[in-house]
Amino acid sequence: MPRPLPLFTKALTDSWRSTLAWALGLTAAIMLYLPLYPSIGGSSQMQQMIDALPPGMTKALNYDQIATGPGYTQATLFGLIGFLLMSMAAVGWGAAAVGGDEESGLLELTLAHSVTRVQVVLERALAILVRTAILAALVFVLVLVLNGPAQLGIDVGHLFGAVLLFAALALLSGTAALFAGALTGRKVYGVAVGAAVAVLGYVFNAVGRQSTNVEWLLNLSPYHWAYGNSPVANGADWGAVTGLLCISAALIALGALALQRRDVGV
Amino acid sequence: MTQAIVVEGLRKKFGQREVLHGLDFAVEPGTVFGVIGPNGAGKTTTMRCLLDIIRPSAGSISVLGEDPRRAGTELRRRIGYLPGELHLENRTTGRRVLEHFAAISGPVDQRHVNDLADRLELDLDRQTRKLSKGNKQKLGLLQAFMHKPELLILDEPTSGLDPLVQQVFHAMVREAVDGGATVFLSSHVLSEVQQAADAVAILRDGDIVTVSTVEALRTAAVRQLRFNSTGTEAHDVGALLARVPGVANVAVRELPADGHAAGTVEATATLSGHIQPLIQELARLNLTDLVLEEPDLEEAVLKLYSGGDAPSNAPHSLGASKQPEGAHRA
Repeated sequence: MPRPLPLFTKALTDSWRSTLAWALGLTAAIMLYLPLYPSIGGSSQMQQMIDALPPGMTKALNYDQIATGPGYTQATLFGLIGFLLMSMAAVGWGAAAVGGDEESGLLELTLAHSVTRVQVVLERALAILVRTAILAALVFVLVLVLNGPAQLGIDVGHLFGAVLLFAALALLSGTAALFAGALTGRKVYGVAVGAAVAVLGYVFNAVGRQSTNVEWLLNLSPYHWAYGNSPVANGADWGAVTGLLCISAALIALGALALQRRDVGV
Repeated sequence: MTQAIVVEGLRKKFGQREVLHGLDFAVEPGTVFGVIGPNGAGKTTTMRCLLDIIRPSAGSISVLGEDPRRAGTELRRRIGYLPGELHLENRTTGRRVLEHFAAISGPVDQRHVNDLADRLELDLDRQTRKLSKGNKQKLGLLQAFMHKPELLILDEPTSGLDPLVQQVFHAMVREAVDGGATVFLSSHVLSEVQQAADAVAILRDGDIVTVSTVEALRTAAVRQLRFNSTGTEAHDVGALLARVPGVANVAVRELPADGHAAGTVEATATLSGHIQPLIQELARLNLTDLVLEEPDLEEAVLKLYSGGDAPSNAPHSLGASKQPEGAHRA
């Protein structure tokens, strides 16, 4: 009997290994970084060391705020290692969803069965969304668990908002990769575009924060849209959440449109 | 009853390169239609157009009475497709592959799947990456046949199958046709198609050279003839053969006496067209041996292929064949 969302369930179940691997990576990163806060971020020695660093460098790394628990979590986990892992996961999934599938010759046979191309893109995008949400939920729970023991002092509501932005930011790279893959039928273009969104966003933020002359770069940085106001400390900018999710939705729609209009597997 | 497939003026361009130059053909329902052509002739492109995997640059297509571009999912549920280059996921089993496609294109009768797997001797619980090429091809056939589609579009279905499994495949095709299905299949080897197909289209460089029945191809094809006879002069045997329409390349000689009856004449020739006139003439002779070979359809088709591109190939093959000869002599 026809099951509902066959492509979605397949995409989700087929990728449990990779989802598990990224979950383990995020868990390891959180377990390594956050418990160190009392001895690193919160210590006066560390503050002196950071004060001794060139201010441009501390700004680029967001280390200007690591003296507080939320600032430390924002800078190390959400701003750096977590961002890196989550973006890589999302870009990998996004690039594989259509471009990779087509390149490996699998998409042709799928499309010969009783599915529409729009359905293929939408169901697989949904699978990326769900996997991203699973990883984000894991991060939320782990940070919450460590909040007390690591003396982070993070407000739960702010953490929720930050995790939402964390997921939305990764989703943006993932959907950009999905779109480029669906447009070109090549995995490598998907990876390139997805990675460019993540890396340029990070670089524009790091450079834009250096001086008022290059401040305009911040406007081009999804990273800055999400993290510009340090959501772990101050709560989410809901406009940014909405904006990021809307762009992702638009990229998915464009990906579906692009695939709908072209030859597959040539 | 409407035709299963109607293709009119089908053209396909990839960038500047046109690979299909206006194909016209129709496939009657309940028949097996074979497309033969060398690699790159446009067989796969044509099939992909029928499934809306790629879109024609010009022309119209009707599949089971519908336009594949607009018909959507319901039409593809009625079609079983085997791609020419079958790719399967690695980390899964045949059973899971089939379950997935059944979830999309079902309903599928599980007993039918098991029955087909048994007949093809395919172990559905093996990891797909451990399957041989032939076993992957069986899995590809299974996913095409399992939902008992009205139309089967099979790109090089027998590729990689050993002769016994090919027989099973031909039986599956016959059963599908007996059940009312239409089969559209391709091959670059005619001998694979001639057993199954009612009609054959020969495709070369994006053009259909001819559409014909296998029977008609067989008539057009050239057979080798060889016989021995006694009691008639070699000269007269030659004259007799020359009278038969379609006989050519006649060679007659008297065999040496040792081992043969005295006055044995051996004749060889080729025959194209009907055999009845030849048999009537041969009946006048006292034959001691007769061989009339199975017509080589391959040859017949190759002749059609080589029509266009002979000049470009000739110098190359000439140069290649001359050199070793010269070396041998020296």
